[in-house]
Amino acid sequence: MMSDANYLSVVFNSTIRMMTPILYVALGSALCNRVFIFNIGLEGTMLTGAFAAIVANYYTGSILVSLLAAMISAMLVSWVAGIFMVKFKGAMLVVGVSINMLMAGLTTFLMQTIFGVKGAYVSTDLVSLPKVDVSFLGRWPVLQTMFSSLTYLDLFAFVLAILLYFFLFKTVTGFHMRSVGINKTAATSLGINADRLQIGTIAFSGIGACLLTMGGVTMFAQNITAGRGFIAMAAATLGAAHPLGVVVGSGFFGFAQSMANMLQNSAISSQLTMALPYLATILALAIYNFTQHRR
Amino acid sequence: MRNQSDDVLLRMDGIVKCYGDLVANDNVDLHLNAGEILAVIGENGAGKTTLMKILYGLEQPESGTIWLKGEKIRVRDTAHAIANGIGMVQQHFMLFDPFTVTENIVYGKEPRRGLFFDIDGANRMVSDLSERYELPVNPVARIKGMPVGLRQRVEILKVLYQNAEIIIFDEPTAVLTPQEVNELLKTMRQLASNGKSIIIVTHKLNEVMGVADRVMVMRNGKLIADLPVRDTSIEELSFMMVGRRLIESAIPEIPPGKKVLEIENLCLNGTGSVPILDRVSLHVAANEIVGIAGVSGNGQFELVQTILGLIEADSGKIQVGGQDIFNHPVRSVRDSGVAMIPEDRFIWGSAAQAMVVETAIMGHYRKQEFSKKNFLQIKKIRSFASKIVKEFNVKADSILQKTGSLSGGNAQKLIVAREMTQQTPLLVACEPTRGIDIGAINFIHDRLIEKRSEGAAVLLVSSELSEILKLSDRIYVIYNGRINGEFLRGKVNEEELGLRMVGSIKNELQ
Ligand SMILES: Nc1ncnc2c1ncn2[C@@H]1O[C@H](COP(=O)(O)OP(=O)(O)OP(=O)(O)O)[C@@H](O)[C@H]1O
Ligand SMILES: [Mg+2]
Repeated sequence: MMSDANYLSVVFNSTIRMMTPILYVALGSALCNRVFIFNIGLEGTMLTGAFAAIVANYYTGSILVSLLAAMISAMLVSWVAGIFMVKFKGAMLVVGVSINMLMAGLTTFLMQTIFGVKGAYVSTDLVSLPKVDVSFLGRWPVLQTMFSSLTYLDLFAFVLAILLYFFLFKTVTGFHMRSVGINKTAATSLGINADRLQIGTIAFSGIGACLLTMGGVTMFAQNITAGRGFIAMAAATLGAAHPLGVVVGSGFFGFAQSMANMLQNSAISSQLTMALPYLATILALAIYNFTQHRR
Repeated sequence: MRNQSDDVLLRMDGIVKCYGDLVANDNVDLHLNAGEILAVIGENGAGKTTLMKILYGLEQPESGTIWLKGEKIRVRDTAHAIANGIGMVQQHFMLFDPFTVTENIVYGKEPRRGLFFDIDGANRMVSDLSERYELPVNPVARIKGMPVGLRQRVEILKVLYQNAEIIIFDEPTAVLTPQEVNELLKTMRQLASNGKSIIIVTHKLNEVMGVADRVMVMRNGKLIADLPVRDTSIEELSFMMVGRRLIESAIPEIPPGKKVLEIENLCLNGTGSVPILDRVSLHVAANEIVGIAGVSGNGQFELVQTILGLIEADSGKIQVGGQDIFNHPVRSVRDSGVAMIPEDRFIWGSAAQAMVVETAIMGHYRKQEFSKKNFLQIKKIRSFASKIVKEFNVKADSILQKTGSLSGGNAQKLIVAREMTQQTPLLVACEPTRGIDIGAINFIHDRLIEKRSEGAAVLLVSSELSEILKLSDRIYVIYNGRINGEFLRGKVNEEELGLRMVGSIKNELQ
């Protein structure tokens, strides 16, 4: 039997690991919301990043190259989506859904051509991000458990949230971004290139969608994101598109996910436990919207 | 060529601008001297706004040149205009509601400290600016919830912050209260004495006479006169604008008929500490025009919106023709015989993206003449739209044009036409002549009088006291959500109304 403290530290640790891939995407989604873009293509973008990382990993075996490949490809896909949404004034929903469907199909197809497998590709040759060494916490086993097997990218997610907070609320560019979300016509009439800001933000929001297959799991499977792009959007909404709020929102879903994983070993049917994060999403959004509406 | 003396700051030569077949600006010349206030007047659709948009870089002309301080410039976009010292206070304010006054003013030219937006520095600069030009504002207040006059002041400060030497105002007084108008005119004079050059587009000739040095008259896209204000008069200007003498038609004496609209003890609490409407009781009878006089923001627009069912009131009674409509949905209110000209033409009156023909039947499309068994009677609708466009002299290229591309005054005329042609027992008219030229105002007044003669009841809400005094058989003054006095035609003068509107005289009853 684990002690309570121990149990909690395990939950904490798994929450962090579950939440950071969501957090990166959610931060991107929050930025999009700030410039009045509802980018549902993030699910497809996330899939792109996940796939590109594994492909680069397979060919080069280099962590750095994989990471760059994931970031760049995800950014490109996002950028194209942005061009369609802003320049060509495509309906955001339609563009987003197209990106999602396109990427779901394309990654599955490429997986078969490149790796010659159906369903999933796993290999021991794939390298994964090094873990942060927490042996110096040896004197405090609880702390050690809490922060064990995390990557630097996991930790950087939180730093990024803080950086983005300063960027959004303290810098001139962030100020202009927020203004575009509030009143694009006014921003344009005051000499701001609002289109460019919006497209840039959408492209940037893609960069974060790369972490999924770099840390915790080093594999690629058909539809490996399993709706986590959407969950990230929900987290951004819950966090009121505020970088620090988004941390809380993502934490909530990370927690739901880690609970789901833990309960898999219990008596509750696994269909139910797997549905937990999604149920939590719906519930949280419903409650959030309800309270917003009441105000 | 005209006056080319050294103090000519700006010249626009031979400006031509077309929208499709329509020539909005037809070889227009404009010049502006340093420290001068130039008024631009003309009928609705004459091309005033278009000319200003060209100067501010919002539109590109087909041909023509712009000279600034003797140098030829091409104003590619607004950023370019601002960089050249040209600023514009647009009719629809370009403000960010959730931001503070300072953030709005320094927008686009923010002071920085290192990587960051230097908000303290910006606040200080705004304070200085506001002191220098005697335009008091609170730098850290948010725009949301501010009255229009104050918003406009923020817009002016923004233009000043951008270091504009030429400031364009497009119908700046249309939405202001009389007091705010006076303040604005004072500000303009002061800016001019500080060396700024000002262009003001307006329909109000007394403002032209009161503030401008020179006046330009436009008609049908052409410049038809350019003369010093001291050499002209309101009569002459109005003749030049409209091309004919305006005749004030007499209002026939008709005794009021049966009560059509009856409101008793209407209360609307709102969220603040003071109720928005406090036990308002009033009635309007057939053959009667009843005016509501009040400084805007005293509850008159909420009153109208509760009548129409757009806001739910807390208690009271509202009847139209004996039928209860209190807190009824808008559709059933309209069906019970209410037509309404809303305060803002684009928020409630129309959709900018809709075609003129669609706007012409909005809110009435379910009526028999427009639809049968849920199918729109396109032919009938088109002929109806063409008819009212012609009758009310709405200047439109075609009835398939987008409403948003009409000039401001023409969009307003279209909405007025729509609501006036419906044979309803009650017409609620809010600011029916806002942004409309003097010729068309006369026409609309005549139509309102005609409607009254035909037996309709008209509730008129207007911030133009002269309009209220001219048309109303009875006047209610509204102050702080309460009825603060009721007068029959001719039984009150402008002065007493004014005092009651600001609460200096209170109703003995309350
Ligand atoms: N974007 C546009 N597309 C088509 N026609 C337009 C557009 N903008 C303006 N027009 C037309 O150009 C003409 C001049 O319009 P403008 O707005 O300059 O008039 P205005 O003198 O400012 O009138 P008002 O006093 O009613 O504001 C109008 O007939 C209008 O319908
Ligand atoms: Mg205009």
